[in-house]
Amino acid sequence: MTSSGGIAIEGVSMQFGGSQGVTALDGIDLNISGGEFVAIVGPSGCGKSTLLRIVGGLLEPTSGHVYVGGKTSGQARRDVEFGFVFQQPTLFPWLRVLGNVLLPDRVLGRRNPNNGPNSKDIAQELLRDVGLEGFEDHYPGQISGGMQQRVALARALSYGPNTLLMDEPFGALDEFTRDRLNLQLLEVCNKTGSTVLFVTHSIQEAIFLADRVVMLSPRPGRITRVAEVPFPKPRTLEIRYEPGFAALAGELRGLLVGDDDIELAMNQP
Amino acid sequence: MSSIRKRSRVVDVLLRVLPSVVIFALCLVAWELWVNIRDVPAYLYPSPSDIGKELRDEGLSLAVDDLRWTMTEAVLGFLLGSAVALFTGIVFVHAKFLERVFFPWAIVLQTVPIVAVAPLLTIWFGFTLTPKVLIAALICFFPVLVNATKGLRSISSQAVELMSILSASKWSLFWRVRIPSSLPYVFAGLKVASTLSVIGAIVAEFTGADRGIGFVIIQASYRLDTRLMFAGIALSSAAGVVFFNIIGALERLALRWPDARLDR
Ligand SMILES: Nc1ncnc2c1ncn2[C@@H]1O[C@H](COP(=O)(O)OP(=O)(O)OP(=O)(O)O)[C@@H](O)[C@H]1O
Ligand SMILES: [Mg+2]
Repeated sequence: MTSSGGIAIEGVSMQFGGSQGVTALDGIDLNISGGEFVAIVGPSGCGKSTLLRIVGGLLEPTSGHVYVGGKTSGQARRDVEFGFVFQQPTLFPWLRVLGNVLLPDRVLGRRNPNNGPNSKDIAQELLRDVGLEGFEDHYPGQISGGMQQRVALARALSYGPNTLLMDEPFGALDEFTRDRLNLQLLEVCNKTGSTVLFVTHSIQEAIFLADRVVMLSPRPGRITRVAEVPFPKPRTLEIRYEPGFAALAGELRGLLVGDDDIELAMNQP
Repeated sequence: MSSIRKRSRVVDVLLRVLPSVVIFALCLVAWELWVNIRDVPAYLYPSPSDIGKELRDEGLSLAVDDLRWTMTEAVLGFLLGSAVALFTGIVFVHAKFLERVFFPWAIVLQTVPIVAVAPLLTIWFGFTLTPKVLIAALICFFPVLVNATKGLRSISSQAVELMSILSASKWSLFWRVRIPSSLPYVFAGLKVASTLSVIGAIVAEFTGADRGIGFVIIQASYRLDTRLMFAGIALSSAAGVVFFNIIGALERLALRWPDARLDR
């Protein structure tokens, strides 16, 4: 178990469909301290989403344990410690954008620390932060996929969760919007001191955001490397042009290239 | 500005219904011509204009004395059948076991010939409203049940996970997710049921009634009064169309988000 707010992942393995089935994760051990930002990178299908679900108490691992702030992940989930941004936006089509961001407030009621007469203002401010001012009254079916994903981000932040679990939240965004949201996310985390577990396919994004980058191998997902990111926080976009940044990115990319991973190999410079 | 907008919406609606109105009118004209040219006996094949005259003379009293009852039966049956179906759907979704036990019986209920059950109910309940309402309810039950069950099941596992992350109660999941996602399906079922309910009421009236459109039609058939029969058919189907469109309007009010309506 870790200090309050941290995440302890102890020997977590996950097998789908019985002993003959798919092994998605194999013996994951990872300690994340409170307020730390950890990025997870790995090839498609290696079990990143599965790991996030296990940490979030949505899925029981086949073996191993996860503790969040000293509680089991299931207990932490019941205590609404998590903000989760799913790989799909998962908005309710019958609620407008503002209604979707206010959903946690409606569900949690007084359990939401932001609950009160100005919870609507807070939601509106979050929408402004993610660049969706003026879209409050649109339905999810009327905005783009990237916009939907930003609504989902605002929704996850709206009740100030201690731990943020984010599954490729910016995958559908253009570079400029992604940069802006990356900076904003760092600012939010700096302000709230949230612990973040962030899945991405982009090594650049992982290094830019995270204190540590965890590399997973292809199925079954095992940790192949945990890299400390040597840049202090708060960070600016310029660190991406420092030689240390490119060196680390190149090193981590090397880990991703397996023999059967032709597509990635072809993207190698 | 807004008046232009409004007018264009009226024009829109007119343009939308115009083709079906034109086709309908053409059919009437062809029918009229056929009756006149072939010189068929008018008591067997009344022309549209004869039926029109019948409606002009008898329409008001038919509507007040008979259609009113038929539609009362149909609407009450619709409400009863749909309410029971929605409740059953909710039970089914929460107790798979009960669904396995009772869904086959719902199918049996659906395959029972209404025309055979109606006289039975008339024997039990007499010439009252009850057997008609029950028959209309019976015929509405199945389409609403099937659609409601499907709709209540239509929530994604992601939505469940989201509610789970918010530590939402089962009750909250039900009201905030299951009910809204079922609405498009439920309305699709209700629209089917609204037209069936009128048929149910009329069939029930055939087997024993002293008023109602079904009663008028069956009585007229004994007298070979085909004009009155057609007048009854025209009135009841017009009422069915109105009922269907009322449910459609309610649907448009309830389902305002894009792509909500299943038949659009
Ligand atoms: N509910 C499930 N039932 C059976 N197998 C599953 C289930 N969920 C995931 N898997 C399997 O587990 C493996 C890991 O899936 P996961 O979604 O965690 O991958 P991922 O790393 O998030 O991939 P991506 O980057 O494409 O999102 C996959 O091979 C998948 O087939
Ligand atoms: Mg995934």
